[in-house]
Amino acid sequence: MNRNKLSYKVSQYLTFAGPALILFLGTVIIPFVYGLYLTFTSWDGISREKPFVGGDNYVAAFTDTAYWQALGRTMVYSFFAVILINALAFFLAYLVTSGVKGENFFRAGFFVPNLIGGIVLGYVWKFVFNRAFVAVADAITGGSNPSLLSTPGGAMFCLILVSVWQYAGYMMLIYVAGFMSVPDSLKEAAMIDGCTPAQAMKDVTIPLMRASFVQCIFLSITRCFMVYDVNLSLTKGEPFNSSVLAAMHVYNQAFTYKNYGTGQAEALILFVICAIVGVTQVYIGKKGEVGA
Amino acid sequence: MKMKRILAMAISTVMTVTMLAGCGGQGAPADTSGAAGESGAATEASGDASGRPVVTILNSKMEIQEQLEEMAQAYSESHDADLEVYYSSDTIAAHLSTRYAANEPYTLAMVDAKDVYSLAAEHAVDLSSEDWVKDTTEAISVDGKVYGFPVCVEARGIIYNADAIKKITGKDFDPESVKTLDDFSALLDELKAGGMAAPTGIMKEDWSLAAHYLAEVYEQHDDPDAFLQSLHDGSANIIKDDIFNSMMDTFDVLKANNYAAGNAISAEREVTEQKLAEGEIAFMFGGNWDWSVINQYDYSENMGIMPVPQNTSSDANTKLVGGGSKYFFIDSSDNTSEAQVQAAKDFLNWLVYDEEGQKFIVNDCALVPAYSNITLAVSDPLGSSVKAYADKGALIANYNYCPDDHYSKLGAAFQEYLGDKSDREGFAKAIDTYWQDATLTEH
Repeated sequence: MNRNKLSYKVSQYLTFAGPALILFLGTVIIPFVYGLYLTFTSWDGISREKPFVGGDNYVAAFTDTAYWQALGRTMVYSFFAVILINALAFFLAYLVTSGVKGENFFRAGFFVPNLIGGIVLGYVWKFVFNRAFVAVADAITGGSNPSLLSTPGGAMFCLILVSVWQYAGYMMLIYVAGFMSVPDSLKEAAMIDGCTPAQAMKDVTIPLMRASFVQCIFLSITRCFMVYDVNLSLTKGEPFNSSVLAAMHVYNQAFTYKNYGTGQAEALILFVICAIVGVTQVYIGKKGEVGA
Repeated sequence: MKMKRILAMAISTVMTVTMLAGCGGQGAPADTSGAAGESGAATEASGDASGRPVVTILNSKMEIQEQLEEMAQAYSESHDADLEVYYSSDTIAAHLSTRYAANEPYTLAMVDAKDVYSLAAEHAVDLSSEDWVKDTTEAISVDGKVYGFPVCVEARGIIYNADAIKKITGKDFDPESVKTLDDFSALLDELKAGGMAAPTGIMKEDWSLAAHYLAEVYEQHDDPDAFLQSLHDGSANIIKDDIFNSMMDTFDVLKANNYAAGNAISAEREVTEQKLAEGEIAFMFGGNWDWSVINQYDYSENMGIMPVPQNTSSDANTKLVGGGSKYFFIDSSDNTSEAQVQAAKDFLNWLVYDEEGQKFIVNDCALVPAYSNITLAVSDPLGSSVKAYADKGALIANYNYCPDDHYSKLGAAFQEYLGDKSDREGFAKAIDTYWQDATLTEH
């Protein structure tokens, strides 16, 4: 059998990569291209007709102030959530690798929130914010207190808090792996050379964990930009549509307001922005990576 | 070495084949168990093994899902058709669009009035020649053809708890006595003096505020279309509209007496309805669908719905607003066979003309029937209020043509008003702006 023949190569490729390729095409590429096509139609999501309207949907998306407000809110939300998630996750990872008693128990404990689905988690926290916190505040002040969820700022704060609580445990696991991958000998060598523990952390451990940071920040950025479930169950966009994040606006535009094409165009813009932010971050992060 | 390669090749070939078989599962036996849930696939075949037509039904009224399932089983045993009931909590149009995209539409879909208008021409079977058309005033026609079968009548107004009122005033509550806002306010003051700290509750949900309360402003106009047209072209401002101001005056009174006054926009619907059911508050704007929430609690027997009190010279304060709610339409696509269409038509007739079907609507589901030939008494208190108003013709018709984003956008504006983030002028301005930018629905 001639292994350099094209037919041989093709058949080898198809037998091994074929199944994955078909799945990838069928579930990602084809829907994506079809979605792209739908942005040029004024389809309402259910009609048999898909009238071609050219770039109208993009014009509508760019002039949709509610969409840009939602995007702005998503940026603010992501900014705070990403920083807090990673700061907390790193801190937790440090704690559970520093040799405290019951490490594994704590690791599991911090990870559990991530196992609860976003919808359930949203409803649980909604109860906590609306009833539990209010009851405690009422008991302390003796009057009636408004729920955090009833003010625009408060609702955003709640969203960020719940996201941090949800994702910190997951990111912690990646940081734990990062910590474990730094050989003790390097740290010990640094200490013998006169580093304080803080210096050893800053100049030896953290640079060697750069890959973990890049990964965690990438994961948290993309998750925050695309968040929908917690947004839906915790605030549902209320009060007065002031906590509608980008993904929720896209869903409403496409399905509730039945502007499928415009919604799809807005989803595409969200995708592009998210991709640019993610790729830039990974590029910058990778550039300075050091090998151990 | 060679053995290994052949083995690897064989395994991956098997995997590919199984995967392709999985994708092309069209020939797989369809789920005929009648299990509920949106994940259950509707049967593809138009009939099961014995040749009986299968009628798939989408239910969008969560509170009657169990009753529907039991009925479907009994009906399938005694009739020559198999009913399968599915439920989805998604937006109806969004859910249907996925089924149409998969070429697996429901034979019968229960949708809202506005969905019939947007879907019927393309997707629904013409029902104009059905018997029940003459027995209802609520059927939906598009271009002179009847497409929508009304499932029930629903109406909105102020829900009251007569027991809670009587406990303080000492006399039986007569809703006729509080037609005007002045009388209503006087009663509220009496209740407060008698120890009820805050006698009203307000649902902050955008659909309740904008699609139900604000929409009453449009509906009380003799010609809602003309009124909205005048807002659209800017020739009228809603702040100068008498009905708007009158309704907002009443809303202000409800708001001032709200039990959750400082916290109005995070008040939860369940809590408000529980307080109303148990008599901690006496009034709440709502509709007879609220019974499915109220009856979860330790409710008072004497409750009912009355018109929104207003200081007005018109008769709007003697009428509830409502009409047909939830409509069945039959799918007209090629995926639904003649036999299925006929079975679905038979089922609709059964609901209206068979004693069992009537009992199902009125007794089992506690719905207010939309058909004049059904004389069974409605069991729940809110429903019987609605039936009383409907029977004497005191219902203002629903306006079903607001754009799809109306409830969400103006709901947000109304919430700002409820939360004291804007005043009446600001709210009116938001309404004006919304309608000026809106695309009015042709109908």
